Amino acid sequence: MTTLQDTRVRVIGEPRLLAGFDLGRLDRQRHHWTHGTQPDLTRETYTRLAESVGLRGRGGAAFPVALKLADLPARGIAAVVVNGAESEPVSRKDRLLLTVAPHLVLDGAVGLARALGAPHVLIAVHDAVAATSVREAIVERDDGVAIEVSDTPGRFVAGEARAVLSALEGGPAVPPGRRVLPTRKGYHRRPTFLSNVETFAQLAVLARLGSKGFSSTGLISEPGTQLLTIAGAVRQPGVIETPTGVPLDTVLQFAGAEPGPVLLGGYHGRWPARTDGLTLQRPDASAGIILALGSDTCPLGEVHRVAGWLASQSAGQCGPCVFGLAALVDDFGRLVRGEPAGWHDAQRHLGLVPGRGACAHPDGSARFLASALEVFGEDVRLHLGGGGGCGRPVRGVLPVPGGEW
Amino acid sequence: MNRLEIDWTRCDGHGLCATLLPDDVALDEWGFPVLRGREISAGAAPDVRRAILACPALALRFADR
Ligand code: SF4
Ligand code: SF4
Repeated sequence: MTTLQDTRVRVIGEPRLLAGFDLGRLDRQRHHWTHGTQPDLTRETYTRLAESVGLRGRGGAAFPVALKLADLPARGIAAVVVNGAESEPVSRKDRLLLTVAPHLVLDGAVGLARALGAPHVLIAVHDAVAATSVREAIVERDDGVAIEVSDTPGRFVAGEARAVLSALEGGPAVPPGRRVLPTRKGYHRRPTFLSNVETFAQLAVLARLGSKGFSSTGLISEPGTQLLTIAGAVRQPGVIETPTGVPLDTVLQFAGAEPGPVLLGGYHGRWPARTDGLTLQRPDASAGIILALGSDTCPLGEVHRVAGWLASQSAGQCGPCVFGLAALVDDFGRLVRGEPAGWHDAQRHLGLVPGRGACAHPDGSARFLASALEVFGEDVRLHLGGGGGCGRPVRGVLPVPGGEW
Repeated sequence: MNRLEIDWTRCDGHGLCATLLPDDVALDEWGFPVLRGREISAGAAPDVRRAILACPALALRFADR
């Protein structure tokens, strides 16, 4: 076990992205000793490799990398953008990678930029330590590609792909009103390849190992490793690198999670009805966030707290998102206090929010809340049964930035 | 072959679209439009175009695809 920036780092199986992490940050020299040099590959090779190993983006959306590459035009690609905003409050994996293995991420981004003929690599980072590590790494390299690091604000929605692009262009870090694909109209409305930090580290590993070597661990459908962030009611929170398809129970045991419900995929994610027999793969594993709730806190009260935070994170641009999420916070509050009308109103409002905003924040928030109502059905009955709730206090196991909202 | 779309960053919930296009747009409890999502037939297109031009926030439009 190693602790970096207050984040415990451990590995199940063979470390790939985190190879050599136990000695701390990999500077240029240690990076080369550990990983070797990045081969120069063509765009066709990247596409073929990404397709053959079924590589998916390691942000929230889990979009296939090969499809994203195929959607880019033959020429005129403006930039490769590394999204390191990591705006899910619990996630630590991206800042960890940028802090410990900046050259691996840069190899992936620069290698792809060269293959695509893109003149710029832009890196959006929120965490200050991670940004410093990347800036130091850039000084150690000579890539012949312009690499820039930009700080992004720490709001949830600021991590959305188009919000990141807007911020990189010097605009506000909010999603624009039109849902356009960055591959078509990205940085300054020109074709752009944008993906999450871990995706680029995976591409760097894939370029070195080839599809056969890359596929020596993990699932057949989506081989390789993944970074997970685990938090909540666990003895050892932190970041874990595991083969894809690792059973959720294995990870929970490894981290010393208390028995109880588990949230997968962060605050836009879902509560699976049961954890046994589940394997961690995309899209359910999403950005790799696992939150254990334990059994001595009030689940609905916890969800209500998070709902309040989610509502506060709306960029305030779109009516149904602003009013809908505020209404849902109120609904969940009444439900927790035992008012049946709160439950009924929540059902209605959950139908009014998805798909009615400039970004997926209302959709993701509604998914999280709807899944909670389903999985915590027994708790809903206890709260609405007139017996004064489930009898457990709200301990704040689900972290909410800034504590109260 | 076209549908309506709303730019939610612009829409102020004036509700004018629901008055002009009662068959295509309803209003939610906060006064924001709920699209019925059906295709706009050739016959309805002129009315829809008029409503698009009437939206005070320039928020209503035909979907691109
Ligand atoms: S949907 Fe919500 S979070 Fe997204 S841009 Fe609109 S107001 Fe902001
Ligand atoms: S008329 Fe325009 S601003 Fe008013 S509700 Fe309709 S779309 Fe929104």
